Amino acid sequence: MAGTLLLPLLPATVPSVRVRGIAALFGALQLLVGLLCWQHPPADLQLSWLPKLGLRLDLGLDGLSLPLVLLTALITSLSILSAAADQSRPRLFFSLMLATNLGVVTGLLARNALLFLLAFELVLIPITLLVAVWGGEKRAGAAVRFLLYSAVSGLALLAAVLAFAWFNPAGPLFAFEDLRQAQFSPTAQRWILALLLLSFGLKLPVFPLHGWQPFTYGQAPTPVVMLLAGSVSKLGAYGLLRFGVGFLPDTWAAWSPWIAAAGAISAVYGALNAIVQSDIRRLMAYSSLGHMGLLVLGLSAATPLSLQGAVAQMLAHGIIVALLFACVGLIERKTGTTAIPELSGLMNPLRGLPFTMGMLLLAMMAAAGIPGLAGFPAELLVFEGSWTTFPRATLVSLIASGFTAVYAIRLFNRVGFGRLDNERADWSSTCWSERAPAMALTVLVIAAGLWPTALTGWSETESTGLALRSQPFLRRDGAQPFSLVAVTLPTASELRTS
Amino acid sequence: MTPPTATAPEPVTAPLIPPSTHRYADVIHRLEAGGSMLPDTPENLMQIIGIYKAYAVPMDFYWRDLLYIAEQVFLDPLPAFKYFPSQEYLDLPNSYAGDQSKLRIWRGGEKAHPELLAFMEKGETGKMSKLLHHLWHDRINMEFAEACMEAMLWHQGMGGRFYDYLASDAYRANADRAIKAYFRGNPLMLGLYRLFPEMFMEQVKKMSYYANLGLFWEVMAPVFFEMSDIYDEGGFKGVPDAMNFLVNGIFAVAGRPIYHHVYIKGECFEIIPKSEGFTWLYEAALPYVEAVFYRTAPFRGTKSYNAQAYQVPADQADFHYGILYADVFPVGSAGIPPTLLMQDMLHFLPPYLVDLYKTHKRGEEDQLIQLGITFQRSMYNVTSAVIQALRCALLYPLDDTDPVHLMANRKFFEAQMDRFLRPEARLPQIQTQDYR
Repeated sequence: MAGTLLLPLLPATVPSVRVRGIAALFGALQLLVGLLCWQHPPADLQLSWLPKLGLRLDLGLDGLSLPLVLLTALITSLSILSAAADQSRPRLFFSLMLATNLGVVTGLLARNALLFLLAFELVLIPITLLVAVWGGEKRAGAAVRFLLYSAVSGLALLAAVLAFAWFNPAGPLFAFEDLRQAQFSPTAQRWILALLLLSFGLKLPVFPLHGWQPFTYGQAPTPVVMLLAGSVSKLGAYGLLRFGVGFLPDTWAAWSPWIAAAGAISAVYGALNAIVQSDIRRLMAYSSLGHMGLLVLGLSAATPLSLQGAVAQMLAHGIIVALLFACVGLIERKTGTTAIPELSGLMNPLRGLPFTMGMLLLAMMAAAGIPGLAGFPAELLVFEGSWTTFPRATLVSLIASGFTAVYAIRLFNRVGFGRLDNERADWSSTCWSERAPAMALTVLVIAAGLWPTALTGWSETESTGLALRSQPFLRRDGAQPFSLVAVTLPTASELRTS
Repeated sequence: MTPPTATAPEPVTAPLIPPSTHRYADVIHRLEAGGSMLPDTPENLMQIIGIYKAYAVPMDFYWRDLLYIAEQVFLDPLPAFKYFPSQEYLDLPNSYAGDQSKLRIWRGGEKAHPELLAFMEKGETGKMSKLLHHLWHDRINMEFAEACMEAMLWHQGMGGRFYDYLASDAYRANADRAIKAYFRGNPLMLGLYRLFPEMFMEQVKKMSYYANLGLFWEVMAPVFFEMSDIYDEGGFKGVPDAMNFLVNGIFAVAGRPIYHHVYIKGECFEIIPKSEGFTWLYEAALPYVEAVFYRTAPFRGTKSYNAQAYQVPADQADFHYGILYADVFPVGSAGIPPTLLMQDMLHFLPPYLVDLYKTHKRGEEDQLIQLGITFQRSMYNVTSAVIQALRCALLYPLDDTDPVHLMANRKFFEAQMDRFLRPEARLPQIQTQDYR
């Protein structure tokens, strides 16, 4: 918040590159504070704000929110650094980026549904402005589309939050702890979950609520799309996990086959669409849609393993998609286009963009779930955790995940290899400062692949706890799911006792 | 009163023949005016002279090693050290340059060029044994020279009588003597020779082309060195001067002999004796330009022809990798033979060329591509010299006043330019300085 407010107050004479540095510093500070909180967990902050409305400033960290806060801080810093050194209207641009970060982080820290709603809505405004002012040629249409979809998403969430209050037998309470203990009627649960699925399904997005995504990802400036795909969309997944799985376990369990089907369809639909795209940004958008489908599959199964995998997938996808868009941004900045038919030979070591293409290749491999990279442990946990619950949906998603390799190879065959046109290839190579954000993400993608605990360790306790609420409704015949990862599952009697 | 004029106006003379309507009419008119296919600009002059110098240094190694292989290594079944010419060949005085030469035409040439010797000693890495330099590829890439030789052999009859002579009885008899002498006391190889005589004969033919190309480059290396020296002294005023120097050089050595001698245990075997009358221009220079500049081999793996079965197409349009047609851009990064030459030239660029490259495209980062395109420009100039030399030898002077003769020259130039109508030809690109 400090950064958001301070940046517009900087004198207009401050050069753009310095404004960018200051903005990135705020992101880095947030990351540092997040790491300190990880080492020394602070007590929850509970302040009364508007008591008549039941709005309290309840903030706290747990194993679900902390990794996502760290991810958001990291991606905010790196996306800011990915902006051009001569970014136009830098004070406003970076202030809006930090405002987006403020909304996401507040949503993740919120321990009150009303506060979460406010944060959720807060994200809408800066992103719309960022797309509308700094986007591509069709930015107006993309911004309007994003605004409309987000408005519907926000309204659905508002209705869900009000419904939480309306149907709560204990009265209009918004604190998460109260919601967790509330005994909602099955009808109420159905209404609320339907609204939540609409809201968060639009935010993620997931098929068939993804209409805004390809346009917005295609038109948004690179730093914005990095933040949007890497972090903001995770707010939807986090909402499903926190509200859907956490507060409405019965209905979630009952509807989970449909949710799993939506996840699998998203995975297939995203992958197949990615294969036929003729623009790299849109290809990445559909790829992201596909991977969000895997995440939804993990959430729907709601086993300890699948939920752990879903959180890991949020983190892995966050850094992978940010890396993908960072690379695409570099390609666009140098070549002036992301149209696949207009590009070829970018792997050319002398006049292409071999370093950038190398990082892009690595990111695509990570997205395809190649072992040793970040995507592998996350997808493995999702598939493994979901297999016993939804084998068909898991199998379909597994096949869809394999399609990642198809569009990755197709993209590289057309863009990376082939003849680099000498007449068009009149661009300079990327300098180290331009590459730095993508390089940092590359290091993380490799590190997370080699040390998967960095992805899975955060949420083990919380995801197991959430799964326990759903397990009695999901588990069949008391059979232990097949597991490659040692997770001790409680027995049914332990569950009931707990 | 009419004001006095400083100089009388030039009399306007009508052209004796109408302008050409060829697509490359501008280039043809330039050739008719005694110019080159390469436009006459100071930068073009600087580029081509600079690259001639960078080319001449590795070429000084190429010709020595080619002759070493043809004359000394010969049919060694395991020629692991063929790229290590003996000191005798490194000290070999050039036949056409330097005070020791019998046929001195150009300066220098007493022994291998000092820059070459310095590079052979230290390379880019530092002082170490020759073998380590070789294995680390910190050396002159003879593979390029061999690719050129193979292109000449592979394309077979590209002019002159040389290739036909390789099928003659006289050649086969000479080769037979040399093969038997080389493998004397080696029953295994002699037995193989008896079983597969054509295989050995093919190897000897290849050795003859080693000698052919070595003798061709023995002439070209000092030419390029001297052009560089003249430029440094401020001697050349434009691209046509550089081209004319080449034309004069061609005529100066046109009749020099092309031969193949092999030295086996101190005895000289004349596989192709000088008395056969093969000349530098017709049996080496023209076939070389035709095979290497206009054709070269297809990129390995893309096409496959059996030369022994006479399957190599005669149509020049089937080949895209000759330096006049090659897209240097992917070639420079794909490992096609000119890439190796480009890497060799990179070691010996004159400072003014390095400075030029720094100011364009990616500066030092993509010098390899930039020098490759400079090389393409320079070879268009060399080809212009060959075309002018042929016109000189076969047709009429450029200042001839007979329209019939001028029209004959015009037709000759137009026929030459027709070869660049293919879309792969780089002639249009080299007309501008933007092509780098």
